[in-house]
Amino acid sequence: MTGPGAQLLQQVINGLAVGAVYALIALGYTMVYGIIELINFAHGEIYMMGAYAGIIILSALLALGAPLGWALIMAFLASMLLTGLYGVATERLAYRPLRGASRLAPLISALGMSIFFQQYVLLSQGARDKIFPVELSSGGFAAAGVKVSYIQAAILLVATILMAGLTAFVQRTRMGRAMRASAQDPCMASLSGVPVNSVIAMTFFIGSALAAVAGFMIAMYYGKVNYLVGYIAGLKAFVAAVLGGIGNIPGAMVGGLVLGVVESLAAGYIGGEYKDVVAFGILIAVLIARPEGLMGTRLPEKV
Amino acid sequence: MAGMSACGAAGRSVRVAVVGPMTGEQAKQGKDMADGARLAVAEWNAKGGVLGRPVELLMGDDAQDPKQANSLANKMWTRGVVLVVGHYNSSCTIPASEIYNLRHMVMITPASTNPKVTDRGYKTLFRICGRDDQQGMVGARYVVRAMPNAKVAVLHDKTTYGQGLADEFLKNYEQMSSRKVVYYGAIVKEDQDYSAVLTSLKALDPDLLYFGGLYPQAGLLVRQMRQLGLKATLMAGDGTYDPEFIRIAGANNAEGSLLTFMPDQEKIPGAQAVISNYRKRFGEVGPYSLYSYEAMNIGLAALSKAGALDGLKAAAVIHASSFDTVFGPIRFDAKGDVLESPYVVWRVESGRLVQIPRQ
Repeated sequence: MTGPGAQLLQQVINGLAVGAVYALIALGYTMVYGIIELINFAHGEIYMMGAYAGIIILSALLALGAPLGWALIMAFLASMLLTGLYGVATERLAYRPLRGASRLAPLISALGMSIFFQQYVLLSQGARDKIFPVELSSGGFAAAGVKVSYIQAAILLVATILMAGLTAFVQRTRMGRAMRASAQDPCMASLSGVPVNSVIAMTFFIGSALAAVAGFMIAMYYGKVNYLVGYIAGLKAFVAAVLGGIGNIPGAMVGGLVLGVVESLAAGYIGGEYKDVVAFGILIAVLIARPEGLMGTRLPEKV
Repeated sequence: MAGMSACGAAGRSVRVAVVGPMTGEQAKQGKDMADGARLAVAEWNAKGGVLGRPVELLMGDDAQDPKQANSLANKMWTRGVVLVVGHYNSSCTIPASEIYNLRHMVMITPASTNPKVTDRGYKTLFRICGRDDQQGMVGARYVVRAMPNAKVAVLHDKTTYGQGLADEFLKNYEQMSSRKVVYYGAIVKEDQDYSAVLTSLKALDPDLLYFGGLYPQAGLLVRQMRQLGLKATLMAGDGTYDPEFIRIAGANNAEGSLLTFMPDQEKIPGAQAVISNYRKRFGEVGPYSLYSYEAMNIGLAALSKAGALDGLKAAAVIHASSFDTVFGPIRFDAKGDVLESPYVVWRVESGRLVQIPRQ
């Protein structure tokens, strides 16, 4: 038997694992918005394709007789690379030609890309669930009625490393500085010699690669994926990004974790069917009380 | 009416349809239904068709969406269809059958198990599979007999089918055992993470979790139950009867799970010839393939016996006759349900679904 305290802790741990995944996806939304002020609605599909790419590559490696641990790491990296390139291609083909057009045009283009990717995966991979090719252990670390499964631990660990890495990258490196400069004022940045187009492409690459990590880990966690999962996950991650303050990198991380935990508590203590009600209710409350999000700063309207 | 809409090259053929989820995550079930109907129509055409005319099979996709199902029903009427096999989901069958009833088209569902499908008393509406109240009863009876002291929890996916089935199980279980369930709740079908609900459940330490829903969610549920260290046995209904359930859950996690479904088709001697024909043409036989096959056979036999392309006459024939099927003779009651409840309990044993002997 587990006490109420242990149960609460378990709900929080479950929520953190899912929240970490939301946060990884939300980073892609927020980084892109920070630089080109576009809500990239195809980002949820990028996440879904990351999961597919990971499963397909992993299956191929295992079929070739690769040892499991090695195959997992290679599939992980290959999926990040491939999905990152999908992100870059999306930007090049669907968004860059519309830069400077009315703000609605790239938004519609993004919705179009989202539908395109869904149908692309449906047609090439079929409508059935894609099952993760290996059955990973259901075991974990258990103490006092609380259990952290190995997969949950792996998700939390990998997400923490990636978020720390991303923060260091943006704060410490030359490319990171160029990104921050482009986010502040793309015109001025380009006049000062920052290659804005490459910076934007890089932003898409990083955001998409992070989404691929999220997709691959979720496929591991749930054991399956289908061509529709990007929609809900993308929507939730978007909520996380807005919750934290869109355009703000630490905000996306905090927003994702907060959303994951709140959802978990709502589902656990009110009922599974109220999970989304509470999640979106909180979004509305935050937007009314603090439109700039939890960590965002109020910016003067850009003209 | 048929003369008005069916003209041109196909004017001489008898138009029938199979409708179901041909795309989306239930596309496999749709294909199974379509293939079963195809096999039946091919056999009838080989024997010279119906009423001396060839049978033309139309295929319709409702994408598991009630609105699509409705417009599909109208479309089938305008194309002169007199006999429809489908739909798969009760949530599609119920609204679409309003139209079939209005237009006097015969509809036989091979898979929609919600009681409401036939409880409205429509004359041209039939169901060749069982009902959720029968299914819930068989499940509850098994639990009461095999696990008399079990703490039981109930969960559903908020769909017409899932909630309906869970409620029938609950009602029957509480009546038969005079015990209360320890938990009754819902998950959202579109969601992939049920760990929050399962964590609450874990504190109640149930021995059995009854789930009203379909295999993708059931698979995830078992998987996440084991990840959280929740050892309860999962029991579900016919919507979980699919090998994919075990693959999603993981064979070790799914071991011992229970579900109610129709008897094992491999063990029905009369079905083997049809099964082998089906395999040759379409591959593996799905859970509803043969039900769709027999639904089409019964419909065509009724049209043939009625002597006219008239839905009301054909429906009267179905109500009055007994049909020889691979499942044995089938008769329908006044509502359009099969007279005998077909359900038995299945269990996952060594990663495979095995029918356990009737209690």
